Parts: sequence; structure tokens; C-alpha cells
Amino acid sequence: MLTWGILAVGTITSLTAFKRNLTIYLNLALGVAIVGLSAAGLWGRMQSLGVGPYFVMTPLRAWFLLVVGLVATMAAWYRLGYRQHHETSTSFWLPWFIVSMVAVVLSQTVWVFMTAWELMAITSFFLVITYHDRPGVIKAGFIYLVMSQVSAMAIVAGFLLMASALHSMNFGVWALKAQYLPWGVKSGIFGLLGLGFGIKSGIIPFHVWLPRAHPVAPAPVSSIMSGAMIKLGVFGVVQFLLIDLGPTPVIWPVLLLAVGAVSSLLGVLYALMEHDLKRLLAYHSIENIGIIFLGLGVTGVGIDRHIPLLVSVGLVAALYHTLNHAIFKSQLFLAAGAVEQHTGTLDAEHLGGLIRSMPGVALGFLLGSMAISALPPFNGFVSEWLTFRGLLLLATHSVGLWAVAGLGVALVLAATGALAGMCFVKASGVIFLGQPRQKVTNYQIPRSMTVPILGLAGLSLVLGVFAQPVVQVISSVEPGIGLGAANAMLALKAGSIALLLLVLVGALILIARISTVRQVPRWSCGREVEPAMQFSSASMTKAIRTTFAVIYRPHRQLIRVGDYARDFPQQLIYRGGTTPTWERYLYRPGYQLAWRLSQYTTRIQAGPVRLYLTYLLATIGMMLLILH
Amino acid sequence: MVWLVQLVAIIVMAGLAPLFMGIAQTVKARLQGRRGPSIFQGYWVLAKNWKKETTAPEFSSWVFLVQPSISLAAILLVVAMIPWAGMVAPNWPHNLLTIFFLLALERFWVGLAGLDSAGTFGGLGASRVATLGAGIEPAMFAAFGVLWALTGGTQIQSIAEKVSLLLWGLAVVSYGLVLVAELGRLPIDNVDTHLELTMIHEATVLEYDGRLLAEAQWGMALKLTAMIGLGWVWLSPAVPSLWMNLLLRVLEVAATSVGIGWIESRFTKLRYFQLPTYLAMASGIGLLAFYLMASGGLN
Repeated sequence: MLTWGILAVGTITSLTAFKRNLTIYLNLALGVAIVGLSAAGLWGRMQSLGVGPYFVMTPLRAWFLLVVGLVATMAAWYRLGYRQHHETSTSFWLPWFIVSMVAVVLSQTVWVFMTAWELMAITSFFLVITYHDRPGVIKAGFIYLVMSQVSAMAIVAGFLLMASALHSMNFGVWALKAQYLPWGVKSGIFGLLGLGFGIKSGIIPFHVWLPRAHPVAPAPVSSIMSGAMIKLGVFGVVQFLLIDLGPTPVIWPVLLLAVGAVSSLLGVLYALMEHDLKRLLAYHSIENIGIIFLGLGVTGVGIDRHIPLLVSVGLVAALYHTLNHAIFKSQLFLAAGAVEQHTGTLDAEHLGGLIRSMPGVALGFLLGSMAISALPPFNGFVSEWLTFRGLLLLATHSVGLWAVAGLGVALVLAATGALAGMCFVKASGVIFLGQPRQKVTNYQIPRSMTVPILGLAGLSLVLGVFAQPVVQVISSVEPGIGLGAANAMLALKAGSIALLLLVLVGALILIARISTVRQVPRWSCGREVEPAMQFSSASMTKAIRTTFAVIYRPHRQLIRVGDYARDFPQQLIYRGGTTPTWERYLYRPGYQLAWRLSQYTTRIQAGPVRLYLTYLLATIGMMLLILH
Repeated sequence: MVWLVQLVAIIVMAGLAPLFMGIAQTVKARLQGRRGPSIFQGYWVLAKNWKKETTAPEFSSWVFLVQPSISLAAILLVVAMIPWAGMVAPNWPHNLLTIFFLLALERFWVGLAGLDSAGTFGGLGASRVATLGAGIEPAMFAAFGVLWALTGGTQIQSIAEKVSLLLWGLAVVSYGLVLVAELGRLPIDNVDTHLELTMIHEATVLEYDGRLLAEAQWGMALKLTAMIGLGWVWLSPAVPSLWMNLLLRVLEVAATSVGIGWIESRFTKLRYFQLPTYLAMASGIGLLAFYLMASGGLN
């Protein structure tokens, strides 16, 4: 009944799109209801709530429901103060988007799942193209739509393969029987579903839609897409590929580890080169999905080789990071929306010193940066610590070169962590600290936008300090994964570290007496001081661009203009950038191939009606022939 | 008893940190044919800076003012988590992975404060420190390869009696290379320079003075002590007596400071863009040691 209730709330919320405050409050109620539903699921009180034959509630599904609900609630709250164009359109599609995500998570059969999945894809497409009158938005939307449809096709193919092998469309039956499938079928299912869910989560090399679609949407939508929607790909991998299928050929978990390592490292490397705040955050989503996939890979290897400790630590790390990323990434996207509303731009090279005009948002962004850079005492620290622990256990449970590969993945994660820290020093430093680089508008940010951002920051602090209870909850998500992770966590003592840090920092700040500090001019070697002296987003990452030139393939062009241009240029034009490798070497040839192949179809599909009538007649004739 | 030793160890190491820094500087001066400062110079500098007026550059915010305290707290916590006496008190947080994250916390805030100072040098230092960090973190992770293989986890314990001399040697070399990079000593970074083309860490503290500079300088000294001590805790044999163990670590750190002074007077600074190669070499040696250990041939 509650499920139908949520559906009804979604419909009503959609239909009130023209009443601004009413629809936002209904959205808020919807989000809170989803959180309540997930809490009921996690405490195992779902039997009394009457879940019908199409829906099912398990602790795992409740965990993902919590992710969706938290992000939806905070985004709705934030919308009270957020001013945007075409707001009615957003208000109309947003409830359906959220309801479809809930239906995906709770679905019990293939039909419900695919209907909800496609509804999610379509509604999010309409949300992405909210600003359809801006240049490039429609193109970004179409790229997103095409990738969504490829993902859906792969998932349908995988589901049909599973359904035909098990003679059932019911997920409950799959959970019981799928693990006894022959390995060939399992490999087929893993490949197809892995492709479908991988595209939706934005792992490299299927990431091209993500940094295009997320930034062009309004900030609350970006935060829900990045925080909740891409996590449903993770849900699919956990539910269908790891738990239902059980042991598979070990190549598949190794593949999960490989794409996880590639996505995390390349995701952060691409993020470092971005100067647009929302595109930077979108690339960090790819990085964090990579980290989640590392945890899933550890779990998969553990399942295949029957090592319960690996299963436990890997799964808990992945699920913990899923919630953590949802929290700090939506926090950062909401802060980015506030920056855009405040200044009218998201280009880091034009900003600076915003900490003085919007201190609350700056604090929220700074704390979110610490959380996503996995710094104690925030939640990213706990889940990345667990991921490291899982990878180290993987390495020490393997022999020879496999062990070195395991440690190598841990090194990749270490490099990713350091680069992520650098990227967020750059983002928060260039945008919020220092001296403003250009004159920008100064629209005041209302408190209803700052409070959700800081609320999410508080949540990430709580999840970072009280780690042990959270791990207990996640351990109960899947029966049989046992106490491995909870025991591994004992060494962490996140609470004591947070307390010690707080006491030490507080004492040191007190004895430093920072309130008595006098402000003086900065050192500039005696030259006139100007804002352009500061390091910019591009100069901050120059050394990285040079060191990883093989990945970026940077190019620059200097054009001299004037009568004696070579020696006395009157004007210099500088262009620089990096090469979009995946687009140029994978997607462009693929697109051209599809285009060329589709031209061949004009031979049989020229347009005359007589031709089509002939085809129809021939088809009917052949059917009669076969049936006869 | 363990609690007492732990507490004494933290106080002793935190108190001796400027001395170890001074030893390295004096040895370096003597080897270069100068008389050099007294080995207690570190304390005089700290005392002088603590008494001076503290200023902050215009356009800086609270981030600039709290950074030295946060960085110093992170390093102090690292010092507190190292089992100086061979073991830590029960229920005291103690693990190697957390130390990595605390070092990352320090690096993050140093970078932020650099950008907050709104000058060229702060940003320059922030960029260089962060770029170096991206190489140091995986290299340090690799350097602990033998320890990971041996304990399978995150405990810091002595490996000296448990592995062959070859493996021990590889571990010492790879950790030594990373140590020099993390501490910002020659041939990675010159602590004495104020030339903008070459300085890395100095650039991040350029705008600081007074009490905040003193905190930053004490933090530098503590980091030297902590990283060297952390190395000896797992690379040298443990002595059964807690107090003797602590004494041994103090002597080892002092001896290593002499060694650092010697290295500093023997090598010139590497080019900044050669540092990735240097760190890749350190990671390679660590991974090799881990491979030999994991394949079980040589321990």
C-alpha cells in the first residue's frame, strides 16, 4: 500500500507543478516518505506494510532507497531558495524521476524493473534539457538519451537471457536459482548486464554522457542524478551479478577491478583539467564510481574463491561509499548551484574570494571537499579506508603476479586519493579563497539554500565519526556476509581519531590566539599587487599536465597578429587544451561506422508505398509458409 | 605501564623534534666546511617566532589562520600513533593506513592556505606540494609492501628478524627514497632556499610569521621525527623492554638526522620534472620486494 501511496504522491506533486511552493513542499514530503520507507526496510518491518506482488523490500534495497530518499529530500529543501528558468518543467518531471528510481529499487519482476528504468531514463532526459534554449544542451541531452538506450538494450538482453534460462521473470526466483546456472550462461549474463549497468553508472569507457549531461541540468537535478541515479547501476551489479549469480569465472570480478582502477584514476585526471565547477564534479562522480567498483571487484573475487572476509570487507566498503558519495556529491553540486546563482558563472578562472560574500556555502563546499578527498574525520575517509583494506587483503590472499596486481590496484587508489585532494584544493582554493579575479554579480544566497548544504556536511561528519554502527547496519544488509568487515573496522577507531583531532586542533588554535592577527600587504617582490598574480585553475595543474602528457596529449597554439608579427606582434592569441581521447578514437569512428551502415538501408527503404506493400505481402507469405 | 610509556614517548619525541632538525643542519654545515648553528638552534628559532607579532596577508580568510593548527594536529596524531616502545596502549588508535590519511589531511590544508594567501608564492607551493604528493602517496604505499605481505593488515610491527637480508635491504632503500621526498630534503627540495624557481615547501609558509610560523616550523620538525621513527619501528629489531625500545628509537632517529645532513651535502637538487621518475623508482623497488615476499621464495 505504501508503494501505491508514494506513486499517488508523485502524481499529485507533478500535477501541482504550477504552484511553486506547494509542489516543493510535496517533493520534500515525498523525499521524507522514501527515507521513512527505507528505515522501515532496514529495521525489517516491511511485512506489515503490504508490499504487493510487483514490489519487494529487502535490506539491500532499503539501503539504496535510503540513498535516493536522502538526496531527494535535500534537493527539494534546497529548491525553496533556488531560482531557475523553466521551473515548471523541472517541477513537473522531478517527482516522476524520483518515483521511477524508487520503483527500480523495489521492483520484483522484469516488467516492473524495465518500465521503471525507462521512465527514469526519459524523465531524466527531460530534466537534463531543462535549459533547451541554451547552446549545446539539446546535443548533450541526445548523447545522454542514446547512451541510456544502449544501456537499457543491454540490460533487456541480459534479463531475457536469464529469464529464458530460468523460465521465470520473477526476481525472487532468480535469487534462488541463478547460482546454479552453467558458467557459459553466467558469463553471457555478466557481460550484458555489466555493460548495461556500467553505462548507467558512467564507468570509463562508457562515461562520455556523464560530464555532458550532469553539468547542463539545474543544480538540484545534477545533485540527484550524480548522487542517486548513477548508484542504481551499482545496485544492479550488486543485486543481479554478485548476489544472484554467485560464483562466476574469475575473469569477471577481475574485470570489475580493472574498470574500477581505470575509472578512478582517469576520472580524477580528467577532473583536474576542468575549469568549469560542475564538469569537474561530474568527472569526480566517475572517479568515485570507480572506487565503488573496486570494492565490488574485491567482493566478486571473494565470492569466486570462497573467502568470506573478502566478500564482507569489499561489499561493506562499496555500499558505504555509495551512501557517502551520494551525500558529499549532492552537497558539492548544491554548493556549485549556489555559486552559479551568486555570481552568474561557474568558470573558476573568473571567480575567487567567495568565502567573504557567501561564508556558509564556502564552508559547506570546503567540508564536502574534505569528505570527497577521504580526509578524517569525514565519511569518505572510512569507506576509502575499508576499500584499501579490502585491496590489501586481496593482495595478501593471492600469490605471485596476481598479488602484485592487487597491490598495484591499491597504489592506483592511493594516487587517485592524492590527486583528488589536489583537485579539491584547486576547486575550493581558486573559487572560494584568495582575491576575486573578476568583478561578478553578487546575488544574495537565501538561508534555505545554505542549510541543506551544511546539513549534508553534518551528515557526512556523523557517518565518518560513528562508523562502527553504520558498518553493523550494512553487514545486516546481506545475510551471510558475517562479521568480517565489522572486525576489520575495529582497527580504525574513527571515533577516537575524530575526538583527538578535535581536541588537538581546538587547543592549538586557542594558544595561537588567531583573533589578534593583523592584516598586512602580501609579498609580491616589490611589484604592484594585482589579482592576476594568483595561481589559477590552469597553472595549479600545469605540472600534472606535463607529467601525464601521454594521457592528456596537451596542445597549444600561439598566434601572433600584426604587421611584423614574428618579431613585434601587436596581439597574441593563445589557445590551449587537452585531446578528448575517448571521443576522438572510440566514439567518433563508431559513430561514423553506424552512419555509413545506416546508409545501406536506403537501398531497401527508399520510400515508395508499393515497395512496402510488397514487403508486407512477402512477410505474410513467408509466415504462412513456415506455419503451414 | 604501557600507557605511561606511550605518554612519555609522545612527549619526548615531540620535545626532541627541533633537536633532530638542528642535528641535520649542523652536520650539513660542518661537512660543507662551515661552523654552522648550534644543534639547539631549532628551539631558539621557535622561541623567537612565538614572541613576534603574528600577521596575515590581505585577502586571506580564517582558512589561512587555522591551517598551521590543523596540520600540526594531524602530525601530532601521527607521532602519537607510532608504537615507539614496541607496542601501543590498548584501545589506542594505531594503524598504518590511518597515518596515510592524516598525512593527506596535512597536505590538503597546506595547499588550501597557500591559495588563501592570495599571492603567487602560496599557489606555487600549493601546486608543487600537491603534485609531489600524488607521487609520494603511492610510492609510500609500495614501500610498505613487505610489511603488508607479512602482516596482511595494518599493524606496524618489526620485520627485521622475519625476512631475509635482501628483502630487508629493498625495504630500507624504497622507504629511504620516499622518506627524503616526503620530508622535502635534498635531492627533492632544498629547505634552505628562498629562490622561487626551486622552493617547494618554503613557498607554502612564506606568508606566515609569528606564532603561526612557529607552529608550522614545529610541524616540519615533528614530521621529520615521525617519518624517520615510523621507518625504524618496522625496519629495526624490537627490544623486549619498553623503555629500552624507546631509547633505541631516539638514538636511531638522531643517527638518521646525521645521515640526512650527510646526504644533503653530497647531492644537488633534482629537476622538478625528474621527480616522477625518482618516485616511480621507489615504487618499483617496493613492488619488487612485495613480489619476492608474496611468491614466497626468499623469506
